[in-house]
Amino acid sequence: MTQKWEDTFLIRNKLGLHARAATVLAQLSAQFNAQITLYQGEKSAPGDSVLALLLLESSQGKTVRVECTGPDAQGALLAIGNLIEEKFHEAE
Amino acid sequence: MKLSELISEDCSKAAVLFNSKKRILQYISELAQQKIPDSNQHDILEALLNREKLGSTGIGKGIAIPHGRLSGLSKVVAIILVNQQAIPFDAYDDRDVDVFVALIVPDGENKQHLETLASIADKLTNKVFCKRIRQAENDSELYQVLVEFDN
Repeated sequence: MTQKWEDTFLIRNKLGLHARAATVLAQLSAQFNAQITLYQGEKSAPGDSVLALLLLESSQGKTVRVECTGPDAQGALLAIGNLIEEKFHEAE
Repeated sequence: MKLSELISEDCSKAAVLFNSKKRILQYISELAQQKIPDSNQHDILEALLNREKLGSTGIGKGIAIPHGRLSGLSKVVAIILVNQQAIPFDAYDDRDVDVFVALIVPDGENKQHLETLASIADKLTNKVFCKRIRQAENDSELYQVLVEFDN
């Protein structure tokens, strides 16, 4: 059965969804058997594409919606949510 | 933001041939130094290498965006290089890299940096654009592709 999980998260780190953060997110997304999409405003990006994620231009203070479908959807949403909440492991 | 305004013609280098990450970053720092009179090449190379240590700037599909921050810089210096062969760059998709869009950016200005990255990503997600820059035989032809896709 296809599961769909979604939630919104606040971009908290100072640099926003910059190249390194986008790469970490894409690497994490690729680990799950799930289709992961990030939405910000009218823009959307597959979680495993660094280039597409950079096009979102998600800066500090922006809210992104993460939508996951597939067998690992719940785990994927949890992991990605944690990564964003933990500021992509960045100091500030 | 137009890519052909971000990258000047003398910062567009087609069909170069370097065989390692270090050599290509050295060449980038050499080119960047020529655009930033008060800088020295060593500082620029250090900034680029330090960034790579945090994680490769290889963003997949044979593309890397090496970048570094330099304090006191008034505006972004951007360089595009197309290497004749793809080289190992520790990219996250394990693909070797032949297209390099390098950025030397001022300290701070995080929002501006995201905007610059998005302008670059906007072109690099276009498969036809990527094909055309890989086919460019000389620097002027490479720059003309940037101009063409900006219009």
